[in-house]
Amino acid sequence: MDPFLLIGSLVCALAALLCIGAAVLRQPPNDITILSVAAVELFLLAYTVGAVIRQVTGEPVLGEAWEFWGYLLTALLVPVGAFWWAILEKTRWSNLVLAAAGLTVFVMLFRMEQIWDGVAGL
Amino acid sequence: MTKRGQRQDDAAELGGTSRARGPGRLLVAVYGVFALAATARAAFQIATKFGEAPLAYLLSAVAALVYIVATVSLARPGARAYRVSVVAVTTELVGVVAVGLLSVFDAEAFPHETVWSAFGRGYGFVPLVLPILGLVWLRRTRPGRTVA
Repeated sequence: MDPFLLIGSLVCALAALLCIGAAVLRQPPNDITILSVAAVELFLLAYTVGAVIRQVTGEPVLGEAWEFWGYLLTALLVPVGAFWWAILEKTRWSNLVLAAAGLTVFVMLFRMEQIWDGVAGL
Repeated sequence: MTKRGQRQDDAAELGGTSRARGPGRLLVAVYGVFALAATARAAFQIATKFGEAPLAYLLSAVAALVYIVATVSLARPGARAYRVSVVAVTTELVGVVAVGLLSVFDAEAFPHETVWSAFGRGYGFVPLVLPILGLVWLRRTRPGRTVA
């Protein structure tokens, strides 16, 4: 299994679990849940750097390259958008919005990995 | 005043609308994700292989449009936005059930994947559950309903 996918899955799952847990405990978004989503964004930035390095060092995207980069650019916006939408109203439901960001990024990461390996298109 | 009532008042002061509040925030967020996913998918399909299955890919575009309208109208305040969101979410429910049934019972007519194929199986059946939750939420937040 690709280490990037493994680490990314763990970060996303942990963030989603923390946010869902906080929502179950009826907490509004707090430092822990917001930082967990920031960690997802940080991972995506590292993933972007890694992808650029892989691309230029002779391990290019096997599927549609523009599809991969389209996914990545969109994924980078997901935690930011979720953060903005969640802090406009600080209720426990906003933590579920943050959790949804982690789950969405996880699914997108999985798709990006498939595109990179050239497995099945849309 | 109860704690919950206080929180809702706070939300109203912050500009939160009746439908984009509480559980509605999550609903709008999930609709937003689907609007994004369906739009990207439809654009990709139409740009790269429209000739293969024009009907299925047009259907993808319609689904994307329905999700966009639903997201925006759910997030906006007002009675007009409410009516628009009822129409959009109802269309979505009819669409996912109709396309789901057709894709299961007449697979040859729908060999190409759309968001709504097989009741949204490719998306964890969220497309099937989403309009049901949407209609429940719209019923609970309908204009003129006295807040419990």
